[in-house]
Amino acid sequence: MSRPAGSTARRSVKTEYIETDTGNKISRRAFIEGKQNIMLGGKTVIMAGVHLRGDLCRKPERVAEGEKEKPNTTAVSIGRATVVSTNTVIRPPMRLHKGQMTFIPMRIGDNVFIGPNAHISSASISSHVYIGENAVLSPLCIVKEGSKILPNTVVPPGMTVPAGTVVGGRPARILGEVGDGWGQGGGVEVEDWVEGGDLRPLVRSIK
Amino acid sequence: MSVTSSAVKGDGNRCSRSCYNCPSCTSPLQITHVSHRDEGLLKPNDAAGDDETYVLQCQFCDWSSLEIDVRFSKPTKITEQLAKQQKTRTSSTHSTTASNQKPLDHDEKFTNLVSFYKDQLNDSGDPQNPYSNSPHNSPANLARIMSLYGGLSYNALKKTREKPQPMREALGTPEGFVSFHADRSDSELIRRSQASGWDGTITSEQQDSAPSNYDSRFNGELWPSATQLRTKRAKRCKTCRHIIARPEPNVGNMRYKIRLLAMNYIPRLMLKSLHSATPLANPAFLLKPGMPQADDLQPHKAQQYILTVKNALFETVKISLATPATTPGKVASRVTILCPSFTVGPAGEVWDEALSASNEPNSDGDRKAAMASLTGSSESSERQPEAGKIWEKTRNSTSIIVEIVPGALQPPPSIVPKTEQQLTDEELGEDDDVLEVPVYVRAEWEAEIKPGETVQAKKDANAMPGEKVSKEIGYWVVLAAGRIAG
Ligand SMILES: [Zn+2]
Ligand SMILES: [Zn+2]
Repeated sequence: MSRPAGSTARRSVKTEYIETDTGNKISRRAFIEGKQNIMLGGKTVIMAGVHLRGDLCRKPERVAEGEKEKPNTTAVSIGRATVVSTNTVIRPPMRLHKGQMTFIPMRIGDNVFIGPNAHISSASISSHVYIGENAVLSPLCIVKEGSKILPNTVVPPGMTVPAGTVVGGRPARILGEVGDGWGQGGGVEVEDWVEGGDLRPLVRSIK
Repeated sequence: MSVTSSAVKGDGNRCSRSCYNCPSCTSPLQITHVSHRDEGLLKPNDAAGDDETYVLQCQFCDWSSLEIDVRFSKPTKITEQLAKQQKTRTSSTHSTTASNQKPLDHDEKFTNLVSFYKDQLNDSGDPQNPYSNSPHNSPANLARIMSLYGGLSYNALKKTREKPQPMREALGTPEGFVSFHADRSDSELIRRSQASGWDGTITSEQQDSAPSNYDSRFNGELWPSATQLRTKRAKRCKTCRHIIARPEPNVGNMRYKIRLLAMNYIPRLMLKSLHSATPLANPAFLLKPGMPQADDLQPHKAQQYILTVKNALFETVKISLATPATTPGKVASRVTILCPSFTVGPAGEVWDEALSASNEPNSDGDRKAAMASLTGSSESSERQPEAGKIWEKTRNSTSIIVEIVPGALQPPPSIVPKTEQQLTDEELGEDDDVLEVPVYVRAEWEAEIKPGETVQAKKDANAMPGEKVSKEIGYWVVLAAGRIAG
């Protein structure tokens, strides 16, 4: 979020979601830390019970005397029309850097679906990725474009999930490919929503 | 890891740099820095000394290359360092078992064999005597043919002028020939596996993880396996060899140069319950655990479904549906398609669809059903499905009614005691309770021949561009209705 979520809520009736100027929907029951370090691309949904740990960011480098302190760093950036389902934890990973543990900023792309109860500590997740429920994405794994992570999968630390593959198991292994029609569908009706496709209709339906 | 196909053709299908996978659990291995003094202690090592070493470590299952006593002096060129250590390991085994000089390494045997046969091909090139007495003269023949087309190399010419040698087979270990020995190692292996038990042995999957593990049998003998590489592939039609999918060559993006998807060419089928007013959540997008899903189907209770066939083509299509009277599998459910043949109107441009939708609001079945549930006036519930009648029709979709009577999961009890075989046959496996209906779809339509298009069917071979030809396709689809309640 570029701005605190609360400021844009003007409705007197308490709704489940607070909608920002760019159309992000954030549940009132989400747990968001370090708001100033979180970027949402617009039309993105953060559902109830989601833990977003923007507070886990790289410590700003020591500024020289007299210099202005640098603006805050980004801990988590999420793209457009991405859905983070209930009770998912998003926690930027740590890495040893010059003898010190520092947090690595996490990037999540557009039209990414993250199922309920997932635990995400990846370095990056590209666009049009589908992540099933209860999946664990261990620290510093990289999920490439258009891949599918089956429910209950544990992606091991540092694994790269190649673009367009289906992974599953504990630890995750490549089980197959998503097929050439991945993400292609009308997207108009409920039955037409497809994994890896345009999530805007789904985002619209969440109220 | 993804690479281009030319890289794989050149360098093989495994990463030759520093990417390795855990031989125990397949996770990627990380190069970790350890120092001798702190080995075994979970203590951060800050003191940089000369005795620094690196190991490959799995962060998922804690396997590390220390299990096979492999350490690296630098964190780069892992493949090179690993190969060197493997080589010294095998050669030291040679020296200890001096009586039996067979090389243990498959790669070594193979290299010996290859170089032997290459020499043989060079030596035995004898164009004057292609029908030699040797029963194994085909490599020589091959060489002869090669020389016919490519001309004789200087080397080969020299060889032929010298004394031609008949082709022979590999004989000894230096030539790559190894005979089978029923030696002591077998009983040794048996004794070891007895001692170590099931947990001490490795799985065949772990053995297959890398060529270096083919002969491993016990924990602590597994070598890291170099990461396998992936490439993108194009796909061709089985019948006419046209390319139907060709991805863009650059690694890491999912764009296509050519992508002809079946869903844009064949009618699409969708099944939904007739009686649920609100559309159910798409099972692919369950936002929270315990979201309402399709209710479990009650055995023997007839259910009616709306089957919608949507046309993707720009011509009106005649559809015929066929299904077995009972579903195959362990739980047989009865299926009746009330109107198995009908037509579906042509698809239009996207704005066409938008226009027609605004002009005929009544065609929107969902909205009507939702309205009915709101107002309580149940227009749709009054309407009874009729055999042979179309339920609903829009410009490019037609809906009909399918009646399904789910079968029972438990077979009827019988008075005669069942045999063991019968009982095991009746046992349900995973997902046997899912009600799936196979449907054969046949679509026929008249299409104009576009200029330059070739006609496959013989009877239409003389058709000219602009003329109409009849086309048809047939395919199977599976419709999933839900799970049957136990
Ligand atoms: Zn492992
Ligand atoms: Zn073809």
